[in-house]
Amino acid sequence: MKVIVNGERKEYEFDKISVLDLLRLNNVKNPDVVVVQINGNVCEKEFYSSTFVKDGDEVDFIYFVGGGQ
Amino acid sequence: MKVDTLLVHSDRVNNDFYRSLRFPIYESVAFEFESSKDMENAFMGRSPSYFYSRISNPTISELERIVSSVTGAYGVVATSSGMSAISNVIMTIAGYGANIITSPFLFGNTYSLFEKTLKNFGLNVKYVDFSNVNEVEKAIDEKTVAIFFEVITNPQLAVFDIENICKIAKKYNLLTIADNTLPTFLLFSSKDWGVDIEVISSTKALSGGATSVGGLIIDYGTYDWSNNKFLKDYCDKYGRGAFIMRLKREVYRNLGACISPFTAYLNILGIETLSLRINKICDNAFNLANMLIEHPKVKNVNYPGLVSSKYYVNAKKYLKKYGPVLTIELDSKESCFRFIDNLKLIRRATNIYDNKTLVIHPSSTIFSEYTENKKLELGVSDNMIRFSIGIEDVEDLYQDIIHALEEV
Repeated sequence: MKVIVNGERKEYEFDKISVLDLLRLNNVKNPDVVVVQINGNVCEKEFYSSTFVKDGDEVDFIYFVGGGQ
Repeated sequence: MKVDTLLVHSDRVNNDFYRSLRFPIYESVAFEFESSKDMENAFMGRSPSYFYSRISNPTISELERIVSSVTGAYGVVATSSGMSAISNVIMTIAGYGANIITSPFLFGNTYSLFEKTLKNFGLNVKYVDFSNVNEVEKAIDEKTVAIFFEVITNPQLAVFDIENICKIAKKYNLLTIADNTLPTFLLFSSKDWGVDIEVISSTKALSGGATSVGGLIIDYGTYDWSNNKFLKDYCDKYGRGAFIMRLKREVYRNLGACISPFTAYLNILGIETLSLRINKICDNAFNLANMLIEHPKVKNVNYPGLVSSKYYVNAKKYLKKYGPVLTIELDSKESCFRFIDNLKLIRRATNIYDNKTLVIHPSSTIFSEYTENKKLELGVSDNMIRFSIGIEDVEDLYQDIIHALEEV
């Protein structure tokens, strides 16, 4: 599937992937320090493992601690 | 893990490049990048890279991470001072025409911030008697955005009915902000009692015994920011992260409220011994307060841990121990000055949680900018002496006080 992560087009071998796994694949060591948006909608921390990203989704994650994992 | 263990081992996730057991002081303003793209990502918050120490710094982030781990917070921001923590919180959650509700029992500089500095920017502050929670509820109007209080007020040493105050705030979808400097998160759990945002002057206990000036803002992630019109846009974009995002990416950045990396390092060291020092200090304060009650020259001893305190029931309910500050009253300002000048061991200085016991006459110092009537309204009499108790042997402190009282 193709997903746009932080403005970059990325391709994965899965049909869907959880937000938590996507963050890990993108080297976010501590998911607690980012805010995640999927297609512009906020995904709160407690839903990272139960929310799945699909083909064509646009995902943004923004560090709110300003550095440091 | 128990909190005493967390205080020492919250650095278990070793973030240092060289795996240094003591996280180093990154005393650099700027950090460089391999490419323009990396730099763009850092500025947009898309990577964890550091770029400028007014915005973020590895040592400061490590302090924030440790505090977050110990408190279970959603987000933590370290600031240049406790006052900076308060002003940054207020400027993030309020604006022109809004009001906050608080007690007149406040630290003198906090009162000055509310009554003088922020008033000029159109923020209104309503002062009500927090001993009566109905008064708090009555003061709420459509422009109220938050309720602010000190967990143990300084120097009045009041402890209000925090649970019911927080319940009222929740009933009206208002934010609660608590200054937890005196108890710290070791003696009072904001999260357990419904406080949304906690501010602490880390200058005091956390710095390792008043070694350096700093502050902390702790967001427990419990408030629904869609209720706050000043954070509405941020809430739409960042949800529960609205406050931290606006704070870090706008207010804190623009006000230049950063703590220094060296101070952050001292705070990290101080946190490891926090429990040892606070327990000793609170035990000393409690014992000293009890030892002074019967002294004929002392008109009154005020300490939240004394059964005679008006706030004892609340203090017992909300606090694990009763804090580092106690006050006594003598018969006049002159007697207070004579007593303070007679002390041989206890130091004449203004601060709290120094390892040394300190003494001050609040009326002529911290509250000197106010009229006599205003001071009384703020709960500060001319006969009051404030002690910040240290870690010495309590018998030596008692003897110093007794000898100083003899010559009054």
